[in-house]
Amino acid sequence: MPWYFYIALKQLFPTGRRFHFFTAISTAGVMLGVALLIIVQSVMNGFGHEIRSRIVDTNAHIRVEGGSILRDWEAVRAEIASDPAVKIASPYAHGVVMAQKDNIPAFPLIRSIELEPELEAIPVERYLRSGHMDLLDDDSVFLSSGLAFTLGARPGSVIEVYSPLMLERLKREELLLPRELEVVGIFESGWQQVDDNTMLVTLRLMQDLYGLQNGVHGIAVRLHPGHDADTVARRLNDRLPMPYLARSWMDTNQDFLFILQLEKHVLFFLMLFIVVVAAFSITSSLLITVVRKTREIGLFGALGGRPREIAACFCFQGFLLGLAGTGLGVVLALTVLHFRNDIVSTFAQITQSEEALRRFYQFVDLPVYFEVRDFVVIVGSAVLISTFAGLIPAWRASRLKPTEAFRSE
Amino acid sequence: MSEPVLRARGIRKTYRSGDKRIEVLRGVDLALRPGENISIRGASGSGKTTLIHLLAGLDSCEEGDLLWEGRPVRPGKGGLARRRTTFLGMVFQAFYLVPELNALENVLLPARIAGVNIREATERARGLLDRVGLEERVTHLPTQLSGGEMQRVAIARALMNHPRVILADEPTGNLDEVTGGVMMDLLLSVCAEAGTALVLVTHNRPHAERMERRLELHLGLLNDTAFAPPAGPPSGGETETGEPDQSG
Repeated sequence: MPWYFYIALKQLFPTGRRFHFFTAISTAGVMLGVALLIIVQSVMNGFGHEIRSRIVDTNAHIRVEGGSILRDWEAVRAEIASDPAVKIASPYAHGVVMAQKDNIPAFPLIRSIELEPELEAIPVERYLRSGHMDLLDDDSVFLSSGLAFTLGARPGSVIEVYSPLMLERLKREELLLPRELEVVGIFESGWQQVDDNTMLVTLRLMQDLYGLQNGVHGIAVRLHPGHDADTVARRLNDRLPMPYLARSWMDTNQDFLFILQLEKHVLFFLMLFIVVVAAFSITSSLLITVVRKTREIGLFGALGGRPREIAACFCFQGFLLGLAGTGLGVVLALTVLHFRNDIVSTFAQITQSEEALRRFYQFVDLPVYFEVRDFVVIVGSAVLISTFAGLIPAWRASRLKPTEAFRSE
Repeated sequence: MSEPVLRARGIRKTYRSGDKRIEVLRGVDLALRPGENISIRGASGSGKTTLIHLLAGLDSCEEGDLLWEGRPVRPGKGGLARRRTTFLGMVFQAFYLVPELNALENVLLPARIAGVNIREATERARGLLDRVGLEERVTHLPTQLSGGEMQRVAIARALMNHPRVILADEPTGNLDEVTGGVMMDLLLSVCAEAGTALVLVTHNRPHAERMERRLELHLGLLNDTAFAPPAGPPSGGETETGEPDQSG
């Protein structure tokens, strides 16, 4: 080991002595900064991951549409299903209707689903709060929790539904009778866009309401785990004839996903300043060391140490402090994240905010998702900044002439 | 007569203090033969430490030449630091031991800086600590050693890389008289055993008188009975040792 690394190690971790106070403070600064960064990024990832999984669950991985009603969709579905990455390809029809119960109107989105869960790309069963898939037929409906609340409906209620096709009939002065549907289930996906204003019906009922005959609006595709939706969508587009277009959930939600990513990056940038502040404490601590050890620095020069080696000694100390602080920060972050739900629960109890958390954030259990890339970036940044923090003391030490150092007593 | 291992010719050194120029050394000449030991005495502020620093190549002078084993020394130039590791050993009044290192690690420090094999160097360092009577103290930190013991460690450290010359700047200055005497015995004997030349800067007349050659730095000039130039120092015809001044 080069002598300057050896001295750096000995100065930071002296044999038979305690860790130096300034060193401990500097390390603690980096530790807190790194811990905070990892905690915030992991929780942000957790929220992002939850949101992404809700988007996929409510929109499927890929949607194939043709700009209008698909008449020959069965052949297209067979073509899509032949791709090895595709798990389920289910036809759907969707649109807007007017729903009414006891003179309370609403204009929800309506979407068809397959009755057999293994044939449906959207896992509706997972989000049913009441009711069961078996109860859904051509005269019944599942309402989202928000829509049920708006209409004052609950399982067993009957709602009236008016479709755009009925407007056509109205123009022809035909008798307009709404379709009466029984509410047989309430679902809640956790994805507000869906939960506020959606109703689910059978494909046959949807075809009837929209006058599609045997046609559908598109095919929802669910992939086997581990496949990239963008890649599969591109592959499908190469195989499907015009005017069919496959779009991944990332493509259709790209603005929202960009905002999520941007938010995470901005938070990372802001939090990084905590590490920068900690790095100043490393600089200050090492500057104090340079002043305290002026005679020793002179001695190293007198014994044949080159200025750049003396500089490396202090730079290496910055690096080691950064490394130690970062390591401890990672351990602290993992510990805090491990006990996060206990911490949130205690916080909620103290502030009596458990109900508010459940209502507004739809969680009491804090979601966390670890991304290796985040760890690499955080650890790398913290160690790099700490090493840079050692540069000023290193420069000071390297400029110190042994003759001046010996006279500094 | 063998070639000088260290030679200084016409060394001049001036310090500035505001507008004032203080000429500390006014043309010092010195030649040190291999294995020779000399003392340099002088009043406080006479420039003894400045001279030691110049001889060690730690500082540069305005005029004059410094040669180590016949090769010129240019402070600040690349390669000098590494030459110093094997040419010079230094002993200081304040010992300058690294507080984080134990006695053995302090003695090994010059070897680490020189980049020699540490396993072999450790054997030598243990041998040197044995030689200076600290075989029981190898793992002790400087704070656990007495002043005399610390200076013994510093002497062992100075000898670590088989230097040709040891420059000792007031090595007994922080020690009591008895310990200082013992330290001088040790320094002289280990240098004699190793064939290392010794330059001793001291206030202490009895210690200075034990050297083969006794010099005095006075008004920026070094009175050397054998090699000093006839610069005409105004110090009278005798050195403080009472010997005739043969510099002129």
